[in-house]
Amino acid sequence: MEAHEVGNGLREAFGSRVEVAVASPKRLYVRVAAVDLPEAARWLRSHLPGCRLATSTGIDLRDGIGLFHHFAVNGQSLVITLKTLLEKPAARAPSLARETAAADWIEREIHDLLGVAFEGHPDERRLVKAEAMADELPLRRGFDVARFKERIGERPGF
Amino acid sequence: MSDPASRKVIEIGPFHPLLEEPVGFSLTVEGERVVAIDARMDYIHKGLERLAQERTYDMVPILLERICGICSVTHSVCFCHAVEDLLGVEIPARAAYIRTILGELERLHSHLLWVGLAGHFIGYNTVFMWSWKYREPVCDLFEMLTGHRQNSALPIVGGVRRDLPVEYFPEARRILDELAGQTARLTAAVLDDPVLSARLRGVGVLAREAALDFGVVGPTARAAGLATDVRRDEPYAAYAEVEWDLVTRDEGDVFAKAVVRLLEIAESIRILRQCFDRLPGGPINLGTLHVPRGEGIGRYEAPRGEDVHYVRSNGTNMPERLKVRAPSFVNIPSFKASCLGAPLADVLITLAACDPCYSCTERAVVLQDRRGGPLPGAPELLAASRRRTAELARELGRPPDLELE
Repeated sequence: MEAHEVGNGLREAFGSRVEVAVASPKRLYVRVAAVDLPEAARWLRSHLPGCRLATSTGIDLRDGIGLFHHFAVNGQSLVITLKTLLEKPAARAPSLARETAAADWIEREIHDLLGVAFEGHPDERRLVKAEAMADELPLRRGFDVARFKERIGERPGF
Repeated sequence: MSDPASRKVIEIGPFHPLLEEPVGFSLTVEGERVVAIDARMDYIHKGLERLAQERTYDMVPILLERICGICSVTHSVCFCHAVEDLLGVEIPARAAYIRTILGELERLHSHLLWVGLAGHFIGYNTVFMWSWKYREPVCDLFEMLTGHRQNSALPIVGGVRRDLPVEYFPEARRILDELAGQTARLTAAVLDDPVLSARLRGVGVLAREAALDFGVVGPTARAAGLATDVRRDEPYAAYAEVEWDLVTRDEGDVFAKAVVRLLEIAESIRILRQCFDRLPGGPINLGTLHVPRGEGIGRYEAPRGEDVHYVRSNGTNMPERLKVRAPSFVNIPSFKASCLGAPLADVLITLAACDPCYSCTERAVVLQDRRGGPLPGAPELLAASRRRTAELARELGRPPDLELE
């Protein structure tokens, strides 16, 4: 299936709940509300054989935390990105870890670095963030490396 | 036969003489059987995604070459793919061939490294020494062509930074010809070895459905019956123009993963020969490019599988966000599917089978005969090993190629 066919399928299934943008025959970007993420992920994985969650990106934007789930399809050039904007400061999103095991680690990573709370995630332990970091969220815009180093007693410029 | 009272937790790592990188595994065992597995990853988080936000588009590939000790071409080219997707540009044909040469040389030395390590982990050091001996000329070739064994600093957005020295191509072809014969013999010997068959077949099976659920990629996926390879799915560089075959297996066990990698070595050599013969002329990059606001996704087939980079630009000369997803990030968690229920001794090679960027450990046990009898020495152990090899060959219906003493 090419990007526009998947886009049409999503429009039919979700109506006005999705906003589809075809960037190229192999790149599809779909805006969807956080609450619809699990359903959209289920739709993709059941309609596209070989569809898997390749990874997810968390990004601190001016208006909120962007959460982008990138789905690839084995045997095809297509990448479908489900894009959601989560309200700051307490960014919350439903977890996809119950839909696919591939969401497990990447959601933990985004939780570590950007503080997104994934509701229903079975394992909320840290994955990648250093023990010295307490509440710091290193990929948030307000994160100050110098202040963090001072707090943990590291020499400036080290 | 489950007995929770007999559970023990065995910690491997994070620092261990056999782990070249820090990683921690907790294996919960009941007797010899592993009933739970957990991995801890937070020892060497380098903050590279954030560092990339403070570097220009020209500097980022050089930073990304340092993500991994092996996949230098992988990450730098994958980033270029993402920015080129954002820009909607095609790179010149000569640059495409040069990137293909770099990528396949990297795959060659990475796969040979794994074959050697896999042999080492199961105590078969002949395979280790043999494989690493053949790996060395590949690194020399890489240095000959780029000036460095590992970090070439060649990929840039829109092509490559420098041209390859064509005067070295005859020597490069000679090395490849030699390597083709050597690796063919290595592959035949490994695939034909009754000990390796007995040790690796049916071990650490990752079923097709689990492989898709965990989203595994590369040889780990291809050995579980998933025909996925970015070089075929989304042909980049020169892969649509050269002839090569996708290698897949259905068994999903450690042996199948070894087969896939060994046969891919031959395919890499095949691709390289065509690239050296057909390298087209013309420019090697698109010159200076302005990156406008937008976003792009790059994919690249690393030796370990699909690498994914997401780049978002706000119109300045540095990326607003770079997301890097290396193949091991999705391959490692599949241990939960392939290791549970397995004997401890099998888990170690299963962990290594997806070729994570670190590997497992082995234990040495010294037995003491309390009856006071003599401990077996090297000659006795060698004789026992030869006897067992001959038995296995008989069981597999092969003529014994070793005489019993």
